[in-house]
Amino acid sequence: MGDDYTRLWTYRLKWLYTLLVVFTLMLPVFYVIYISFNQNGFGARDYVFTFEWYSGIFTDLLLMNALGNTMLLAAITTVLAVPLGLIAAKFYKATGTDRAKLLTVSLLLSPLFVPADILGSALLVFFKNLNIACATAGEWLGVSWFETWFELGYFSALVGLIIYTIPYIFVVILITMGRYKEQQSEAARSCGATAWQAFYQIEFPQIRAGVFSACAFTVILSFNEYTRTSLLKGGYDTITSVLISQMLNEGMSEQSYAMSSLISFIAIAVIGSIIIYTLVHTDRLEREARAKAQPVMSS
Amino acid sequence: MIKVRPQLGGMGGSDITAPIPASRLRWQRGLSRALFLLPIIFMMVFFALPLALTVVWSVFERTMFWMKPGFTLFSYENFFFSARLDNFLSSMMHSSVSVVVSFVLGFPIAVFIRRRIPQVAQHRVILLFILPFMVSEIIRIFALRPVLQRTGLVNTVLLELGVITEPITAILYTPMGVIIGEVMSFLPFIVFAGFLAMEAVPKYIFEICDDLGAPRHRVFIDVILPLAAPGIFAGGVFIFVNGLGVALLPNILGGPGAVNAGLIATQAIAALDFPLAMAVSAIMMATLLALLYLGHRLFNLTRILSPIN
Repeated sequence: MGDDYTRLWTYRLKWLYTLLVVFTLMLPVFYVIYISFNQNGFGARDYVFTFEWYSGIFTDLLLMNALGNTMLLAAITTVLAVPLGLIAAKFYKATGTDRAKLLTVSLLLSPLFVPADILGSALLVFFKNLNIACATAGEWLGVSWFETWFELGYFSALVGLIIYTIPYIFVVILITMGRYKEQQSEAARSCGATAWQAFYQIEFPQIRAGVFSACAFTVILSFNEYTRTSLLKGGYDTITSVLISQMLNEGMSEQSYAMSSLISFIAIAVIGSIIIYTLVHTDRLEREARAKAQPVMSS
Repeated sequence: MIKVRPQLGGMGGSDITAPIPASRLRWQRGLSRALFLLPIIFMMVFFALPLALTVVWSVFERTMFWMKPGFTLFSYENFFFSARLDNFLSSMMHSSVSVVVSFVLGFPIAVFIRRRIPQVAQHRVILLFILPFMVSEIIRIFALRPVLQRTGLVNTVLLELGVITEPITAILYTPMGVIIGEVMSFLPFIVFAGFLAMEAVPKYIFEICDDLGAPRHRVFIDVILPLAAPGIFAGGVFIFVNGLGVALLPNILGGPGAVNAGLIATQAIAALDFPLAMAVSAIMMATLLALLYLGHRLFNLTRILSPIN
């Protein structure tokens, strides 16, 4: 660290570069937000501040309907995918053999490397085939209660979203679990706690932050997802599919600027507040831990 | 690890509570084991199986609206002996360029964060790079249009500053536009992967290098790169494969000729040519597996996971 002091300016320049890269990555989004408040729209000479374009969003029935569908999908995905990721992380920590570890980690992380359109197409054909198989089996058996299970709809979209989000959940939870000492569970078990008690009362409070941030990521990721959902969703609309069709059909209209910036703004606000909360929270935890570690002075 | 009531039978516990029948115990143990295997089974059935079956479906025969079982290499012929192959190869080129650009721009940040920022603050700086990733992909990609357009932000600013006298039109609806889009979309991933990879390079190594008086570029080439290679490779493969597979990028930012594997697949689905879409998926999977195998042979990719363990 010595040359931080001798070469303060290179250090500052590196910081500047890092922040500049983050700013550049965010720049298009900021620009869209900036345009969305302009009464004259994109490319106009004069800038007149207005909320006009936003007022149209909330009265658009199609859009509100799509918002409902999207939120429902995001909520169910979170409820299903986070426990699955948590169980997978527990299994990864608990299993003893290297082969089981490798299988778990490669199965749960490889969706990261499969591009959206490829996974979406493969799952689409998979579900269509399952559907045909079910219909055939139903006809053959003379019963029909399972025939519509695998039709494109909420279920198939959910499967696509869970596969998309589970690697992030797995990694986030696994990293927070790294700080947990397994001996604490063992101690609890030998004191007579059941496995569930040892998990819920001892381990969970310590990994809670990771689980909650995994939840937040899942909500945002599935809310934002377009490709997989649009391939697998069947008939209904989601926010992103409405947005895309609007952008492709009408070009970038003023309303699509407003919608885009509203969605981005919500995501930035949610994640930003979580980041700030975590920072403040860890600071406080650290301070408390340091206070506890200090020797108590006897008078 | 998954123990069910280990205290049974020992310590006289059965005097107080009634012993649990063995059948129920076995049932409970089976249930908890099944629960723990649930994520694996789910991923096997809905992820590994569909992707593996793409190979089978790709040799099926095309019918009017669907496909029927059979064996034909027509879809592969359709892919390899047409303009699709050229498109695929040129999108590979663009992807490779994006990987290199992302690495050059992003990896120094990962090194800087690991090397110069105190341990406790490192994760916070990394969190900054999650922020752009949290904005929807479609918005981030579409937002590049008003920025890069003829009358867009970049051109306006450069014209005002007098750097250029005529708007640059080569940065949108061209391969250049696709590359810019890929770098803007995937740069955070090389920072994350590089950050994880730099875990393999302890701080004292830099001090040793300084003490021994190694020049900076030698430290980078001979020390950092070999140690961080698995992580860098994983990040690079991620960007490469997504550059090939995300159809939105060439669809929105590319010109008439810009087509990648993802776009070929979705266009085939829109044209109800399912075997062709499956053939493209199978080819993409083969590319990915070949890359991962190569990387594993060269750098032993399991080393990336050491920070998690």
